[in-house]
Formats: sequence, structure tokens, C-alpha cells
Amino acid sequence: MANEDVKVGRQAEEDKGALGDSRPGTIKFLTGLGAAAHALRMADIDVASSYPIRPYTGVMMMLSMMAARGELDLEFVHGEGEHGQLGIAHGASSAGARAMTGSSGVGVVYAMEVYSPISGGRCPVQMVIADRTLDPPGDFGSEHTDALSTRDQGWMLGWAHTPQEVFDNTLMYYRIGEDPRVYLPQMNCQDGYFISHIPQRVVVPTQEEVNSFLPPLEFPDALDPLNPLGHGPQIFPGQGHVLEATRVNAMMGTFPVIDEVVNDFNKRFGTSYDPFVEQYKCSDAEYVIFISGGHAFTGKFAVDHMREKGMKIGLVRTRWVRPWPTDYLADILSKFKAIGVVETNNSFGAARQCGILTLEVATTLYQCDNKPVLTAFMAGLGGEVIRLDEFYYMGDVLKDAAAKGSTERTAYWIGFHNV
Amino acid sequence: MTTLLEEQVQAKVDLPLLANIHQAVELDEYYVMGHRTCAGCGPALSYRLACKAAGPNSIFLGPTGCMYVANTSYLCVPWAVPWMHTQITDAGAVVSGISAAYEARIRKGKYKGTFPNIYVFAGDGGSSDIGIQAASAMMYRDHDAIFICYDNECYSNTGIQTSAQTPYGAWTTFTPPGPKIPEAKKLFPKDFARGMIALHPAMQYAAAASISYPVDYMNKVRKAANIHGAALVHVHAICPKGWGLRANQVLLCGKLAVETGTFHLFEYENGEYTYQYQPKAFKPVTEYLKIQDRFAHLKPEHHQKIQEFINQGLKRCGIKIPVEAV
Repeated sequence: MANEDVKVGRQAEEDKGALGDSRPGTIKFLTGLGAAAHALRMADIDVASSYPIRPYTGVMMMLSMMAARGELDLEFVHGEGEHGQLGIAHGASSAGARAMTGSSGVGVVYAMEVYSPISGGRCPVQMVIADRTLDPPGDFGSEHTDALSTRDQGWMLGWAHTPQEVFDNTLMYYRIGEDPRVYLPQMNCQDGYFISHIPQRVVVPTQEEVNSFLPPLEFPDALDPLNPLGHGPQIFPGQGHVLEATRVNAMMGTFPVIDEVVNDFNKRFGTSYDPFVEQYKCSDAEYVIFISGGHAFTGKFAVDHMREKGMKIGLVRTRWVRPWPTDYLADILSKFKAIGVVETNNSFGAARQCGILTLEVATTLYQCDNKPVLTAFMAGLGGEVIRLDEFYYMGDVLKDAAAKGSTERTAYWIGFHNV
Repeated sequence: MTTLLEEQVQAKVDLPLLANIHQAVELDEYYVMGHRTCAGCGPALSYRLACKAAGPNSIFLGPTGCMYVANTSYLCVPWAVPWMHTQITDAGAVVSGISAAYEARIRKGKYKGTFPNIYVFAGDGGSSDIGIQAASAMMYRDHDAIFICYDNECYSNTGIQTSAQTPYGAWTTFTPPGPKIPEAKKLFPKDFARGMIALHPAMQYAAAASISYPVDYMNKVRKAANIHGAALVHVHAICPKGWGLRANQVLLCGKLAVETGTFHLFEYENGEYTYQYQPKAFKPVTEYLKIQDRFAHLKPEHHQKIQEFINQGLKRCGIKIPVEAV
């Protein structure tokens, strides 16, 4: 049953020689979970809280192994469930520790109560999420509905699309979340299996480089008998909206910090991340696929192939869902004729019968003078692969939509409407 | 001159046991003004005594319950030590995280003081009902922390609803008596502290105490704090509003609970139970029931059923002083 997870463990075993190595720019062959574990090790986390659920479990297996070998000085606390995992991370962060936890699928939503207290307490916890479908039925495949269900709980929320990006995001998220202008928890998401379990080449910087990019956490309001403070008392009428406003301001205040941190990361590590939105072959594109997460990897190949056939298609990949980069996306998306949002999630009975991201994109475009044709592609549900031919189908729909100025449907179900 | 806090933070020393109530009175207060609890509130008194016993090198956690809602107002909390709210569900988890954070930060040289005493102050719901999973996990993992369950035998803050600690026969707003259910609550309560001891063989110290026996209670808090590892204190904390008592009957009621064998004062140490109250004869439970409005609807047969339950409980504890059913 646990074959996939065991492989991750074995992967870590094979990496034994390289674990803890500080060769500059070491190249490792890592899964998304392996990449997260190595980045967390280099971030010198203090407390990790675990509970097993596929597919994210591998990151905890690797961290426990690093702790056992003495490669990371870590309090590895086994939670009594995901709700407890988040409680442990909440307490650890409140006491000034750099804390992490993680989960997948139903585990993510089992902890639902605790997300808002953590973000409202301004605790910069990081959570590694490898997406998994929600029940029913039992299914291990990747769907983003698990993490997207928490989008209203005040956490920063973003997806990587390669193990390298997982590694880099882990460091960048901590630096952003722990910035004194921010102090917010972060969900560091990757697609289950597609990213979490498929090894790719990852450049791992030196410990010195990481240290200079990510200084130790200085949490000013930590629980400390030398500095007695009360965390989280009841409020009175007339105070609630003020507190909610400060939470919104904290989230909206992340934009300049994200910009600054990602650019600093690019400068130090020679990467070329856009802080918010990746645009792939968009400069002369007339219609684009809008996407978040690991399927962008296949999507880019599909765009290459469709370009060879002369189609004016591009791909826009948002790196963040919270905060939603409204202004950036409005500028980018409003210049196209048609947009197709790939939804690896479901929102039953939502407006336009689409998923969650289309709602955000539609709202983003509402104020724009030019309103592209907008449709959704319900794809990858149940954790299915989105195949190249399915991306080609999306390309054909979008090409047609750009020419006609309309689409037949507000949402196309891949696996039904394309066959 | 160094303060008590500075002394305690520089070098951790065991909290000394108190010889009498005069020594208890002289201790500084760390649960102070600024709360909004009812007159005669048993949990507030249990909090005050625990904070006096705990001293300044302490962190208190308050899961949702009376001692969260009635104690805190934004920008005004009645603690002179650090305090944090947790969900009613996860106090055991949050305290584990804090304990782990101090372990890691002290080991890694990121915190310069000594390990503080970290207390959970949870109601019976946050301990034995919705909070039991996290409480159990904290004790199973043996984190260096103290879990205090202040037991007022109901969800008082939400308007007196039944919890897993509410006794058989008690009126609550979820267990009203009526012609179909004359005894009101039909279920017997959980045996929380003994249950936790049985579940967690690694546990070094647990105790049951009452606000009506303050020195005994404060010493149990101190012994729990001095243990390196998880410890449990279950304190009987009468709720005058929920039980139908006047404020001046609260301590009397707590004494009667012990004197009738309804609530046992005990310590569990080195795998052995010791009982602090072993009279020649226990009083009949009717004396305890008749002063509380929540039992006013009970008929003699219900009193008898409760007396039998108490006798069985005493027998299980090896206290061989059964009381004749009345």
C-alpha cells in the first residue's frame, strides 16, 4: 500500500552521501517532497508536526530521517491527527520556533478549524501540501480542492510546478511569511504524485547562501515569561471589523514584500521567477491557458507543439492564489481574446458551473475595458493526468472562441466534451 | 536585587511545597483583576490558586470555555504571566508545540532562559469531551507541561449544557427533566483522570483536587510542575450558576462532594494511588444533592441510584467504607 512513500524513503537513503553536503550548487535528483525536505533542513526548522496521509507523507519521513541522523536539530512531534498537527505548529510558532507541518486531501480539511487562529495570531507557520482528492471515493490522485478549501482562512497560498520550484518556494515563503511587515502562515503546495513523487533535477545551494537569504526567525510577540503577553483574547462589539481589517491589510501588504523577496532570490541564486505570474509564450498570444500547479509542466509542452502548428497560444501560470495578484493578472489577461482556466478542483454548483479559479479570474477581469472570452476546463479531476491531446483540445476551443468571440459552454469537462 | 522571576529564569528550581494556608496567602498573585466571572465562581478561584502556586516563570493556555470567555476582553486579560487562547479542541496540541519549541530553542541556543512551566487550563469539555484527543496525545508524548482540568461538570459558558463530566441526574439546558425523562441526565460521567492515567503508562504524576482544599490543590499543582514530563491535575471547581447554588455555598458544596465520596481527592505517583480523604464514614450523597437546584427534581430512587454509583466508585478505589443507600 505504501509503495510510493517507501520509494521516497529509499530515495532519501540513496541520497545519503549528499545529505548535509555543502557543495556549492549541488545537483540532486529529488521529488517535490524531497526538495521540500532539503529546503526545510537548510532553513533550520525547529519544530515539525507529522501525521501520515498519502501523498505528502514523504516529506515527514525524510525530515524524521534527517533528525535521526543528526543532520537537522529538530523537535519532530507526531500529531494525533491533522487538527493536532496544526495545533502543535500553532503553539510552536507562538513560542518563537520556526515551525512546519503538512498534509494532503481530507487531512487538510480535517484541520480546518485551526487555520484561522494561526493566521489571525500572525504565526508564520509553513505547511507543505501535496494535493489529493477529497473523499468520496477513496482516491490518491491530485486535485486542488483540498488546499483551495482553505483559501478564506488567511493563509498565503501558492503552487509550484517543479521540484526545483518547491525547493525555492520553501525558502522564499518563509522569508516572506516571517517578514515583520507580514507575519503570515504559508501553504506551500505541490500536486500529489505529479510533483511530489516524480524526481527531477534540483540545484541545491550552499548552506551559507541559504543562511544569508533566510535569517533566523525573530518573532517579537513570542510567549515568554520575561515578556508576558496575552494572545487571542475575546473582543467586544466595535472591535471585530478593525481586527479583520488589519488581517486583510497584512495579506494585501505582502505584494511589495513578495516582489522584493523573489527578486532578491533571483539575484542571489541566478533564477528568473516572476514574483507573481509566469507568462509562457504570451508576448504575441491571442488566447491563453490559465493554470496553477503541476499540470503547467505538460501545458508548456502542449503550447510548444501548438505553436509549431501556427496557433497563437500561450500559458499563464499564477504562482499565488492568496494573495490573488489581481492588478498584475488584470494587466496580463485583459489583452487576450480568449482565456481558458484549467480547473484541477471543483466547486459544486458554483457560478458558471466552473471551478474556483475561474471565479477569481472572472472577478479580476470584470473591471477591465477589454473582457476576453472566458471559459473553464474541468480537467485532471480525480487526479487524472491531463494529456497532451487534452491540452490540444483546449487550444482548439480557445482558438475558436477567439475567432467567434464566444464559447459554447462556460465549462468544458475534459473526458466528456472532448470525446 | 533580583526578582523572583529573574531567579527562576536564570536557574530552574523546584517549586517548594506549602506547609499551610498562611504560606499560600503570602504568594504573589498572577491571576489578577480584569475578569468578568460570576460571584462565587469556582473555576476563577481554581485559576487564582493555580497561578499563585505556579509563580512567574509560567505560561498559561486557555482553551475556549468559561475561563476564556469570562476572563478576557481585548487588550485586557487578568494574567500577569504569558497567556494564550487555544481552540476548545486542541489545547493539548498547542501546549505540545510550545513545549517542543522551548526544547528546540533552548537546545539550539535560541532562548537564553530556563524551561518555563507550561500549563493548560481547560474546562471539563475541553479536557474530557471535545478536547480529549489532544489532551491524550500530549500525555502520550509526555511533553513537559501540566494539564489542569477545571471541572465544573457542564458547559457553563454556553448556558449550562451537559458535558461528559455532568453527573447522572443533573439538570442542564440539554438535559431538562420532564415526565418522559424524570431524572434529567441519564448517563453517568466519565472517570477522566483515572482514564487518562490508565491510557498513558508513562505518566509520572496525576492528581485530583478541589478548590475547597486549597493547600492540597496548590501543592498538587506544584508537584505536577516539578515533574519533567506530562502531568495532570483534575480540580473540582463548582459553578454556582450552573449547579443552582448561592455564592456563599460554593466551598461548602466542594467539601460535601469530597465528604460524600462523590469526588475523590487522590494522587497518582510512581504507579501508586494515594487518597487524601479517608474518613471513618462518608456522608450520604443526599446531603450533597439536596443543596443544589440542579438535582431538585430527583426522586428517592434516583438518589439511591447515585448512592450505588458512588459506593461502586469507592469500592473500585479500594476505599472500604461503603455508605448505606438511603
